[in-house]
Amino acid sequence: MIGPLVKNGIISDGVNTLFAVLIGMLFGYALQRSGFTNSKKIAGAFYMKDVDVPVVMFTAIITASIGLWGLSLLGLIDLGKFYFLPSYLLPMVVGGLIFGVGMAMGGFCPGTSIAAMVTGKIDAMVFVGGFLLGSLLFGDLYPLWDKFYNSGANGVWRIDQLLNVNVGLAILLVTLLAVFGSLGMRKLQYKFWGKND
Amino acid sequence: MKKKLWDPVFGGIVIGISIILTFYVAGRGLGASGALTAFAATIQNIVSPSVTQSSQYFSKYFANGANPLDDYLVYLVIGVMIGSFIAGMVSKDMKLEVLKGPNISSKGRLWYALAGGILVGYAARMARGCTSGQALVGGAELSVGAWAFMFSIFAGGFAVAYFIRRQWI
Repeated sequence: MIGPLVKNGIISDGVNTLFAVLIGMLFGYALQRSGFTNSKKIAGAFYMKDVDVPVVMFTAIITASIGLWGLSLLGLIDLGKFYFLPSYLLPMVVGGLIFGVGMAMGGFCPGTSIAAMVTGKIDAMVFVGGFLLGSLLFGDLYPLWDKFYNSGANGVWRIDQLLNVNVGLAILLVTLLAVFGSLGMRKLQYKFWGKND
Repeated sequence: MKKKLWDPVFGGIVIGISIILTFYVAGRGLGASGALTAFAATIQNIVSPSVTQSSQYFSKYFANGANPLDDYLVYLVIGVMIGSFIAGMVSKDMKLEVLKGPNISSKGRLWYALAGGILVGYAARMARGCTSGQALVGGAELSVGAWAFMFSIFAGGFAVAYFIRRQWI
């Protein structure tokens, strides 16, 4: 069965929706079991006190990247039918900076706040309330930042294109960055703070 | 007694596999912020439809009678809630509580949570996604914008961490 299953007509939209719930369950289960329903743990990343968050993120990215690329090399998925995210460099950098400030203050990002809310974390419920307000603020006052939001449309722009290397080499470079980044951050954590609480 | 957490590398691999699965089944990535924004737009459309209809950004959510809650990411997020709830039950980490550092009151912590939520809600729209939908999925796609977004998140967090340390350490 060659993926994407729904775009190749192998499963119906209804079954795809069922899979969405099931995959979401796996994702939510993993977030909770990784400790990401704990705002202290997430914020700890910004003090190098507990670097599990960036380690999980790096690992997830390279797992998915190597997995998707590997499945396409094996002919099990058709990358041509994927939806690739477009790059808008400047809005993403500015959005990322504000996001980081909010994440350090709030102790959550959207996915982790949803996972934490259902396990009784009151700070997560308040964070989600704030998120709803913040996204309404963006949408209702959209004309104020419309131009900036749409500036620098780079289309689908990948690291292999940026560096002018083939995809395999780009994935190798990203993997090395993830592995050495994770080991380096863990070293800093142990030096300044010791092991996780 | 709470159950021990997963090793972060194992947790990362499972999350990576969930991303591979959304692509294999649906041909797209996962994400969390889109569902929350759809929910916010829906509430606003009930409370104050005129504001929503006159919003250039939100009016298209409801164009031609569309229901923004009938969306892939909304079903996915329903799954996230079920999965996290089950994990919380089996690991005995299910309690109404406010998590914070020792040097701040619960009330103070909740004000920070609200302010942080507003900033993240705004920023997730500006960046067209959040840590899951943009940083992880885009990162796996080798998207330049997604990697820039992820490094910017850490830059913003490190920049402000010292000034809000009372809350956490």
